[in-house]
Amino acid sequence: MGTIFFELALTLYFAGFLLSLAGIVRKKDDLDKAVFLLALAGFILHTIYLVIRYIKSGQAPVFSMHEATSFFAWSILFISLCMSFCYRAKVLNFGVILSFIFMFISAFFPRTIPFIKPELRSLWIDIHALMAVFGIALFSIAFVFSVLYLIQERAIKFKKFGGIERILPNLEILDRINYRLIFWGFPIYTVALVVGFVKYLSLLGFLLDPKEIWSFLTWIVYLAIFYLRVKGDWRKKKAAYLTIIGFLLIIFGFFGINLLTESFHKPL
Amino acid sequence: MNLIVLGLNHKTAPVEIREKLAFDTQESIREGLKKLTQTEGIKEAVIVSTCNRVEVYVCTNGENEKIIKSLKQFLSEFHNIPIKDFENHLYIFNNKDAVIHLFKVASSLDSMIIGEPQITGQVKDSFEIALSERATSLILNHLMNRALFTAKRVRNETRIGENPVSVSYAAVGLIKKVFDDLSKKSILLVGAGEMAELAMRHLIGSGIKNVYVTNRTYERAKELAKEFNGIAVSFENLKEQIAKSDIVICSTGAPNYVITEQMVKEVMPLRKHKPLFLIDISVPRNIDPLCNELDNVYLYNIDDLQDVVDSNILERKKEAEKALNIIEEETEKFFQWLNSLQSVPVIVSIRNKAEQVRQEELEKFKSRFKELPPEVIASVDYLTQSIINKIMHSPTIALKNNCDNKEILIFAARRLFGIDSEEE
Repeated sequence: MGTIFFELALTLYFAGFLLSLAGIVRKKDDLDKAVFLLALAGFILHTIYLVIRYIKSGQAPVFSMHEATSFFAWSILFISLCMSFCYRAKVLNFGVILSFIFMFISAFFPRTIPFIKPELRSLWIDIHALMAVFGIALFSIAFVFSVLYLIQERAIKFKKFGGIERILPNLEILDRINYRLIFWGFPIYTVALVVGFVKYLSLLGFLLDPKEIWSFLTWIVYLAIFYLRVKGDWRKKKAAYLTIIGFLLIIFGFFGINLLTESFHKPL
Repeated sequence: MNLIVLGLNHKTAPVEIREKLAFDTQESIREGLKKLTQTEGIKEAVIVSTCNRVEVYVCTNGENEKIIKSLKQFLSEFHNIPIKDFENHLYIFNNKDAVIHLFKVASSLDSMIIGEPQITGQVKDSFEIALSERATSLILNHLMNRALFTAKRVRNETRIGENPVSVSYAAVGLIKKVFDDLSKKSILLVGAGEMAELAMRHLIGSGIKNVYVTNRTYERAKELAKEFNGIAVSFENLKEQIAKSDIVICSTGAPNYVITEQMVKEVMPLRKHKPLFLIDISVPRNIDPLCNELDNVYLYNIDDLQDVVDSNILERKKEAEKALNIIEEETEKFFQWLNSLQSVPVIVSIRNKAEQVRQEELEKFKSRFKELPPEVIASVDYLTQSIINKIMHSPTIALKNNCDNKEILIFAARRLFGIDSEEE
């Protein structure tokens, strides 16, 4: 089902991944244009793949591990492309690397269309799942930029230069990117959780599974990050540390819980 | 055809000699070029004269010894200085070494500060003057263009000019690693040291507009503030002013810490923990080193800045090694081109001869078969042209290609196609 588009996108992402890595290792930006073109071409093919899958199955392409991971990779690249237009920062290279990794992982999961019970097929469930994965993608990039912030900050603080920090943007830009990602990610993730929770309640009543509990815990952490960031005091380094903690929780929720409980939302 | 460079630079000659031999103005370079091109044996010439070097590049068809003597004579007469006064400071390179030397100069590998960008522009200017004086022709035009191209390659493919190698520029570079838009930042100068002033000037050049100056003597602060288009503030309000500033440059003669850790600790909440960049250029230090331990505070003293500069210099030296590979590659290409020039006259002669034979035979054919329609004659013309081109293809490629025994090949081609006997 449009698998050829998936394979082509994966190949382009791989080429982009290699060039991005080369640019980072060589600490030069002469390959950035090629990375951009590869990422854009891969992104278009990937979008076609997702659309074909959506049209054929009639449900959002996020309900199996293959779909969720692939859509996650797509979201990361989409956000990175948007951000590379807004900031003249080496955002895209990191985005391409991350996208390829998740796209590669998604290739190992079965590509069959997951069965969703008819009573669960609804636009709201689609919105819930798409927004949740997109929100997580925003948090993931925030995590990457928090790590980069800490690397840059450490280099300046300890006066040790000559590494990756050479190609990184300055601290202010890194912090601003982090802020914007959290600023957009939190409301999207919140809406996704609220929609999901309401729908869940209407279907099963009040019966929480590990995924819901974990998602709620993660949401609490991001609420704290969001509040502290917007309030203004917890900026820069502390914000970077918090974002990293939040990401670790979320990634465990995304992969760990799904794999340990062997399904999305077990009672369903 | 020989290439010679004769010159001296900061490594070989003291400044007194360099200034005596310098071509200070464009006019003097033009005048020098006129004299050089009138010298017997010199076909083309370029003079490169900067504060650190004076070099004469010539393309000659005379004896090397004689040309070198003429060049020394020229410098001596032009600047009115005896040859013995500068002879020992000269370096002379021929052919390949001359090309490598020029490529190194243009790429700033031979400069006092490796990777400094000005020299490429100076070489370009020198070439343009020589061009406008018609002092250069085929060889030096190509050589100078290749030198500028090589310099561009070195700049693009290595990081030779990337990191600053002066303390004040290094400070600006570090500040830019923290802050994004410097025009929105405030800077406070505490004291009036010379190096702090220099760093201030670089920062103002980088776009900082909000400048504050404080000094124990308020009058001196006012003087400096006027110089930087800034505002003088009272030394008693130092803490409040730090709270309002993003960058603080401290350079006073005080024997103790003027900015203490406690002071900065108190200041940070007032500025909502926004980053604060402190530069301490004073000796003894005026900012407590413990300030660097505080979150979002970055402190650099003169030794730290010097360390950054030293590591940047080391980095440039490493990059210079990569640049040498590029230079070697480009030198090779230049000599390939130069060698191909040698064979051009032979190729032209062979092709002319073949064409001449073809035309003669075609005329004979036409006169023998007068009744043939013009389309057939045109076809025969086309056919003979194709045959000639096909036959000539391999010898042309062989002569154009660079090979070790090129001269033998050219000699053989002349003999085989009977060009020498024809010319005789």
